Amino acid sequence: MFVPHSEIDLKKMFEELSISSLDDLFTHIPETLKLNDGLNVPPSLSELESISDFENLESKNTQNLICFAGGGHYDVYLPQTVKSLTMRPEFMTSYTPYQAEISQGILQVLFEYQSLICDLTDMELANASLYDGATSVAEAISVAINKTKRDNVVISNGFNPNTKEVVNTLVDRNKFNVNYVDLVDYLFPEDYVFSQDDAAFIVSLPHYEGSAQDLTSIVHNAKAAGVITICYADPSMLGILKSPGSMGFDIVVAEGQSMGSPLSFGGPTVGWFATRKELARLVPGRIIGESRDSNNTKTYVMTLRAREQDIRREKASSNICTNQTLNAVGSTIHLSWLGPEGLYEIGYQAIQKASYMKQLLSDKNFNVLNHTSSLREFLVETKKSAEEVILEMGSKGFLAGIKYDDNQILVAVTEKRTKAQIDNYVESLMEVDNA
Amino acid sequence: MHSGGNASSLPLVGGAPEPTINQLSKPGRRASRFPKLDVPVTEINNSAIRNDKPSLPEVSEHDLVMHYSRLAHRNFAVDVGFYPLGSCTMKYNPRFADYVAGLNTFANSHPSTPSAFTQGNLEVLHELEKFLIEITGMDNATFQPPAGASGELTGLLIIKKYLEENNLTNKTDIIVPDSAHGTNPASAKMAGFNVVEVSTDVRGMVNIDDLKELVNENTAGLMLTNPNTGGLFEENIMEISNIIHENGGLVYYDGANLNAIVGVCRPGDMGFDIVHSNLHKTFATPHGGGGPGSGPVAVKAFLKEYLPGPIVEKNENSFEWYMPKLSIGRMHGYHGNFLVALRALVYMKLLGKEGLDTLGSYAVLNARYLSSVISKVIPLAYNEPCMHEFVATVKDLKKSHKIKAYDVGKALLDKGFHSPTIYFPLIIEEALMFEPTETQTVDTLDDLADTLKVIIDELQGEDVSLEEYPKNLPVGRPNELIPAKHLTVNWGDFELLELTE
Repeated sequence: MFVPHSEIDLKKMFEELSISSLDDLFTHIPETLKLNDGLNVPPSLSELESISDFENLESKNTQNLICFAGGGHYDVYLPQTVKSLTMRPEFMTSYTPYQAEISQGILQVLFEYQSLICDLTDMELANASLYDGATSVAEAISVAINKTKRDNVVISNGFNPNTKEVVNTLVDRNKFNVNYVDLVDYLFPEDYVFSQDDAAFIVSLPHYEGSAQDLTSIVHNAKAAGVITICYADPSMLGILKSPGSMGFDIVVAEGQSMGSPLSFGGPTVGWFATRKELARLVPGRIIGESRDSNNTKTYVMTLRAREQDIRREKASSNICTNQTLNAVGSTIHLSWLGPEGLYEIGYQAIQKASYMKQLLSDKNFNVLNHTSSLREFLVETKKSAEEVILEMGSKGFLAGIKYDDNQILVAVTEKRTKAQIDNYVESLMEVDNA
Repeated sequence: MHSGGNASSLPLVGGAPEPTINQLSKPGRRASRFPKLDVPVTEINNSAIRNDKPSLPEVSEHDLVMHYSRLAHRNFAVDVGFYPLGSCTMKYNPRFADYVAGLNTFANSHPSTPSAFTQGNLEVLHELEKFLIEITGMDNATFQPPAGASGELTGLLIIKKYLEENNLTNKTDIIVPDSAHGTNPASAKMAGFNVVEVSTDVRGMVNIDDLKELVNENTAGLMLTNPNTGGLFEENIMEISNIIHENGGLVYYDGANLNAIVGVCRPGDMGFDIVHSNLHKTFATPHGGGGPGSGPVAVKAFLKEYLPGPIVEKNENSFEWYMPKLSIGRMHGYHGNFLVALRALVYMKLLGKEGLDTLGSYAVLNARYLSSVISKVIPLAYNEPCMHEFVATVKDLKKSHKIKAYDVGKALLDKGFHSPTIYFPLIIEEALMFEPTETQTVDTLDDLADTLKVIIDELQGEDVSLEEYPKNLPVGRPNELIPAKHLTVNWGDFELLELTE
């Protein structure tokens, strides 16, 4: 399958190599290691035969759940224009752009990606993508530790539990303390005191629970103690929230799924990473820069290469090689499609619709735990176990949210949700949780 | 020669630079449209809300489409021409996988959706695990690692945790061949190990005597590709893995070169305890200009409980998530690059037994044939039968005519071929590393060898200025000095002037 050789081709190749069969290629491999009967796998299928197999497999997923789950991944509308352009085979099937002369397309898109993220976050230098939001947080912590040579990491507890698990896996806790600070009334305490031992302060905007606050004064206090400040931002809210750079942050990371990638069951998405120029040498992953060619024509190239694993080996700033370029292409095209008005609109509509939903839930005697401080995502208390409620809501056609605690559900609203869907959700929740 | 892999007809030639999307922006233009807000407006009171609009380009949808389509035209790709890139396995990516990956709930499941509603997705991962452990000769797999380097780190963290659980924390050294990919030592360092390099012998294989000397009570493990980065099968692999095992270490298989042995032999039968695979190489998922990939890690049964999780388990009537008891934790926010895994499953199902049993054989046939015809133009680095890739060297041409591997690569671009991998492995002078993959025709392989001959002859000419190559592309050789002195990494005027060193 996909091997192009005809009998005539094979004859020619065998003659060139003076062999009479494919097996003759492997006379140097110890006989004991060879697979004599081949692999125990099913027979080959033609495309035509396998279509129904895959369609059947897909149909085993519950269909058409209306998505009220968030937690970093959001059901933001992904326009066909963005999908079609991102999947152009010249982008999709190209390799890493080491050969600049025949890779100006992908290099320029990545340069635009870096620029858009810098503009949006008020940072000076972005890399060309990391794996996802969670691993970007861990990479940012690593930059802060390398910069400050300090051992203590201060991280807000208002993070997706999975993100915290990734941090716990990737930050060596035999060497470094990871200190989780609880939110107070769903906000990070303004009076938190940073120490001279703290390498990094990481906080989410908005917090995982959906509440948001201006973090300027907290960032100011952290920086006064010499701490590197890291903001984990929600890209789809950056059109309506103050930029992390304007609040003073040193590094901005994000789960970039909502900008250019379908939900994809969590992957592939893209991790955004942007920072200030002072930290340039410590940035993980690829960076694209503008240069000139021998004729003084504008040329994009991969740059600051001395940070990377293929050159620095064990002294590299990170081991990352393959990244999420195609998803970064998606982010670039989606942000350009949205423009300032569009990015503002999806944030604004999400907040307005969430506001309507919170009020409706309160009117129906549900307790919205962070009603005032939350924006597009919030916590609802349930009488039944959250797990049970989510399963029963599923049979009514809703992905009700993410279980937050035994009797608390994290509910997210995007611009895609309609008043009718919200009304039906609340009605269904009344039936489920009062039954 | 008219071969399918030669892209010399590409309209990449010439033309002015494409403006950036920002230069195409004019106030008041927009592509996006949304439905009118259908709920009553409430006042938003939150200190984090901004008072102005974000800074983004303002373009029409048609301008947007034309701009990114033009940029696509300025890009080489597997769908356009032949990439003989060693160590990268740039094979054909079946279009059918695009269709399957686009199916509704595959593409659009929220990652927090309970397993009760995502049985199809879990079955995809379970099915792929079955293929993968059969192909690699292992017992269990995780799909959390989103790329090969993440798979390596996963494997090393598993070794670390395993040693901790067995009170062997004195074992701090990871042995890596001097020919290894840079990710190997970088990952070992990230996992907190010391990196110890083992040398390569004159035949191009792990130097067994050197290995024996390096191995001691501190040896935690060995990272190896087989075939190695020179494209040679490590014939003494059983002795190598025994040496490590006898000293209580574990043996890690870097799946970068797995394409050579699929259906021929298996890492699990060679004594490897942990294997990562690059689905974006061996199993034909598109590289996306540098990603996404997927680097699932498969282990022997005694390491199952250390895998990052959750992993999929099949119960009587359903598939469920299971968190291994001694798990190293999570390597990804959710389930790894699920849609990449799905594409790999599509590829494996299409190939099936007939295709997978012969996959490695055809990959090796193409490389062996190409090495034979290229050796008539440029000498090979090793006088051994190659597997799926091989290394040639122009060190003699450098001495006689100052022609470097870099120059040969650049001249090839002009002729419609991607450059081979150059200067890798690091231990071979002026290395050109070729990996044709099994999906290229013999005509394309001949065409590449013929073209190399033409280039080498041309570059040796009297009045040739090597720096002028490539001559027929939208841009020539980038000036490497400018970024060092005057670095521009976004479309603002920001310059990293203080980085001048």
